[in-house]
Amino acid sequence: MLPADCSRRLLAELRGALDACAERQRQLERSLRVSRRLLRAWEPVGSPTAEPTLGPDTQKEELSPGTPSPQDLKELELLTQALEKAVRVRKGISKAGAGNKAPLPKSGSIVTPATTAPLQLRAPGRAGSHASETKAPRGICQTKAPAKGHPQHKPLSSGDRTSQERASRTTGPGLGLRDQATAPPAAQPAPEAFTLKEKGNLLQLPAAFRKAASQNSRLWAQMSSTETSDSAGATATAKAQFLQKMQVASGLCGPRLSAAEMEAEVRRLQKACWLLRLRMQEEVAAGQERGGGHGRKRGGPGWLGGQPAPQPTPLPHAAPTDWKQELRCLLTLEGLQAMVGQCLHRLQELQAEQQLGPWPVGLPPRSLSPCGEEDPSWGPRLLLYSSTQELQTLAALRLRVAMLSQQVHLEKVLMAELLPLVSARGPQGLPGLPLCRAVHSLLCDAGERFPTILRDEPTG
Amino acid sequence: MGRRRRGVDRTPGAGSGALPEAIAALSRALSAGPSPETFRRAKFDRPEAAPALWQLLFRVLSPTTQAGAKASQGPEAQVRFVKAALRCQGYPRPALAQLPEDGSQGSRELLLALAWLLARGPLLEQLLARTRVRLGDEMTVCECEDVAYDGASVGLPALCVEPNLHVDIRHVQWLMGKLRLRWRNLVSSQQEQCALLSKVHLYTRGCHSERSLGHLSATETELLRDPDGSRQLLQALEQENARLEAAVQWRRRELIFWQWMDTVLDSCPTQAPGAAPQPMFLPRITDRGPRQWGLVAGELQALQEQLQAAARPRRAAWEAQVRGRSQDPAWSTTWRAVRQAVDLELVALQGAWDRSGTPAQPHGPHRLVRSESGALAGRGLWAAEAIRALRSKEACLEVALRQLQGQCRQELARLVGTLSGFIWIPPPGR
Repeated sequence: MLPADCSRRLLAELRGALDACAERQRQLERSLRVSRRLLRAWEPVGSPTAEPTLGPDTQKEELSPGTPSPQDLKELELLTQALEKAVRVRKGISKAGAGNKAPLPKSGSIVTPATTAPLQLRAPGRAGSHASETKAPRGICQTKAPAKGHPQHKPLSSGDRTSQERASRTTGPGLGLRDQATAPPAAQPAPEAFTLKEKGNLLQLPAAFRKAASQNSRLWAQMSSTETSDSAGATATAKAQFLQKMQVASGLCGPRLSAAEMEAEVRRLQKACWLLRLRMQEEVAAGQERGGGHGRKRGGPGWLGGQPAPQPTPLPHAAPTDWKQELRCLLTLEGLQAMVGQCLHRLQELQAEQQLGPWPVGLPPRSLSPCGEEDPSWGPRLLLYSSTQELQTLAALRLRVAMLSQQVHLEKVLMAELLPLVSARGPQGLPGLPLCRAVHSLLCDAGERFPTILRDEPTG
Repeated sequence: MGRRRRGVDRTPGAGSGALPEAIAALSRALSAGPSPETFRRAKFDRPEAAPALWQLLFRVLSPTTQAGAKASQGPEAQVRFVKAALRCQGYPRPALAQLPEDGSQGSRELLLALAWLLARGPLLEQLLARTRVRLGDEMTVCECEDVAYDGASVGLPALCVEPNLHVDIRHVQWLMGKLRLRWRNLVSSQQEQCALLSKVHLYTRGCHSERSLGHLSATETELLRDPDGSRQLLQALEQENARLEAAVQWRRRELIFWQWMDTVLDSCPTQAPGAAPQPMFLPRITDRGPRQWGLVAGELQALQEQLQAAARPRRAAWEAQVRGRSQDPAWSTTWRAVRQAVDLELVALQGAWDRSGTPAQPHGPHRLVRSESGALAGRGLWAAEAIRALRSKEACLEVALRQLQGQCRQELARLVGTLSGFIWIPPPGR
């Protein structure tokens, strides 16, 4: 069992990592739901089988006589029959063309007055008038909304055949309102629904939305450009002066570092440590290679972490290049040592600064600037990809980098917590062997493999 | 104090309405900020202006995800949060920390704090970007969002870990395994999402009103499918447009505001310069900052010891060699040459981390755009480049991880070697 404070810290770290992962998964699931729904056949808006977002009252309204008076029903019947006939006529023509997948008889009877362009092309007056006659207010909303956002067709410049196909098929999302009401014996199943695959390129964003979106991008562009406008100079000076005065008035000697800056400094020093270590290993490995001809054993492929460097054999009559390299190596190592000393000093300065004000309550230091060095141009930034494969590679790499940096961090944490435990029990002569084994597998193989320990029984 | 006047202080060169207009624009850009009258009262440190300003600062400083939760905690909690956050940002004036926690006073100090935040950085842009309506399918390439994810869990109130809990090492192993599994699930979900998005982009080719984008994003397609959502999105867009317009107006007029703020600062009583800032003894829920510091300090110290161990024998050997050579005239010139070369190298090495990161790296979320023909060259970041950059980062991280693991292996081998009576067989090497 691990001691209490160690346990607490380890658990906190690991749970933090697990929660971060879970958060990503949640967001991903949300987007996945949306995307999957988009690629299925779109349910007609307003039908009982439509998305739960419409709510139960929708269904009630539909099934109840939200349908208008019998008068309207009759008229509707007449219209339906007329259109059925028209569709039958068309069907005869279209069959001659390429395979029309749409179940035409069905779509004929479904004819909702409130569908859009295609019907208006053929029966200009009637569709519009029936649309306005739709009594149920909810119905109006629903049928108008798909009418607005419904795939408006591009000007049907293509031939008759395609327009007929569209006419028969694109009744999809717009209908459904009358399905239950007019339910003629041809109680069709869900009519040919709208699928993105077949008709995706007919979509068009609603006009109001387009306007708002273009205004939005224009304004954002303006925001980034006003920063470089002429009066910005005077404003910038005024701001700088104000900050200066604040600083002076507060009586502090120097500007205090914000938490974000401090974190950045610490990260910088971390990077420095890593680079210095790499350099040290290069030097020592190079030195060993030089001396390798003398039959000395190398301490492993560059992982010279814990072992002291082997003694370089003094060469009595060394060639000038040899001792120059030795000198170089020596001076580099001493220089690196000095730099590490500077880093440590800086770190201690930061610590002293921090003592003045402890890190505040659970405050993520990045609360205000989510992206530390955010690009001041707030305009649209695009990421261009050319194939699914590329996009998947990119996303997978992103996640791999995130996972690796988390792993590196956890490795350091585990090292800091667990290695002392193993070494602490050493003097007793028998550290918990399961502990050793577990720690080894955790730290050295990321938990994937285990070492074997054999008891060495003295024979005899 | 107490002089009731309509209109504005006579700042030179300003029309009488320019300052209230500027402040009104600022308030609109901050989405329902206090009125110009409140600002004017704050200059004279009127107490009735204080609560509005506390609330404003609270809204500005808290991250969006937590704002709702914290707002329900009451004004004292808000006051404490604002004080902590400002300190976190490095706010210089100690007077803020001394304000009472019931939120009834200090409007002038708060006004100064707000101006300080505005002056330091692009506060408005950051706030607007935080709540920006994203119309495209966004993906971030940089690592900044990773910090946001890690921070999301850190910000949770009181990770409820019992103080006296002992865990078994096997529990730790189990948690690590669980983490690995979660990542794997994440990767496969992500792959599926990419495939789906790619299909959506493919099928909606040629639909977008903006020729440069070429196709609809999943978000836009979704709003076509779902009219309710489209209404909400449209509303959000329009609200954002209103705020952006206000921000643009503010930009044009802000010079007057800064001139006025100078007068506000002048009207403050001067502080005793030697007054030490009162330390705020806030309970620490997380010690992520000090922990990070501790890790780095440990690493640096370990590194220093290793360097010492490597350099000392070499120095000794060198001294032994040099004794016979100091008279050699060519020797000293060579020595100096080597010294200079090493110094240059080390300076270059230091530059590697002194530089403030790679400036070329694009930050923030990018909108995904499928473009096979390469027609949009120059308009954005190419996936191939991003992949290259990520691969090199991946390689670096893998090296770092191997290095750490190697260190552990050696350390453990050393520790276990002290045991007698056991044979330690490490797992088959990679």
